[in-house]
Amino acid sequence: MEMKKREGAVEDRRDFLKRSAVTAAAAGAVAVAGKAATASEIEVPSSAGYRETEHVKAFYNSARF
Amino acid sequence: MSLSTTVADNALISEEDALRADMYDFLASLLRKEPSDELIEKVSQLEGDDTPIGSACLTLAHLARTLDNGLIRNEYVEMFIGVGRGEILPFASYYLTGFLNDKPLANLRAEMSKIGIERTEGVKEPEDHIASLFDIMSGLIRGRFGKSFSIGEQAKFFNKHIEPWAGLLMRDIEAAKTVVFFAPVGTIGKAFLEIESAAFSMDGTG
Repeated sequence: MEMKKREGAVEDRRDFLKRSAVTAAAAGAVAVAGKAATASEIEVPSSAGYRETEHVKAFYNSARF
Repeated sequence: MSLSTTVADNALISEEDALRADMYDFLASLLRKEPSDELIEKVSQLEGDDTPIGSACLTLAHLARTLDNGLIRNEYVEMFIGVGRGEILPFASYYLTGFLNDKPLANLRAEMSKIGIERTEGVKEPEDHIASLFDIMSGLIRGRFGKSFSIGEQAKFFNKHIEPWAGLLMRDIEAAKTVVFFAPVGTIGKAFLEIESAAFSMDGTG
């Protein structure tokens, strides 16, 4: 019963998005404009998962690595 | 762009969700800074149907074709940057508390830290700029930040950091004193945000 309800909700949401103004026509063109966009200003720091905070820097300084 | 490719970057997402992410990217690119010649050229090629978003896209394309590019850029600067400050300050903190760099920004930074993302180096604006928030939504949808974010998780971020104020911003843009080109941008933004909100509320998965 729970699963059926959840599946129904997903279908509703997808159908709604399909039927809404985010249609292939508008959005296909949007994709064109979007790809010309300037790069996103949000990124994952390149040292993935680990960022050098001030605390860490201070620790390394004190440990004289 | 940084080396941020992870397993989730290639996660398969539904066509509807890819379109959502495209729309966030599209709006972010127009609101981030004065539109470049390249961006205006692309916008001039927009097509649309007779839905509210579709017809606003057609209007926007027409304006991109007929307005002088310099005029479009001036409109952006006058609206968002101005002399000292723009007519419109597109920051979550400002809309939510009346002050820039206030608690909503602190909340957002904490959230970004939890997700493991940060502002690209060299970007001067605080993170709660509308373009930055749209960048985050796009990244959450596409799985750019190390994992796939469920619809429920996207909804949580959207409802906390975007929904309470972004619709008001879009209305302000539509009604701004010197608006011409950016009016349909506001229209598209407003309509899309309403669709996002409604779609999130349909999702029972949480």
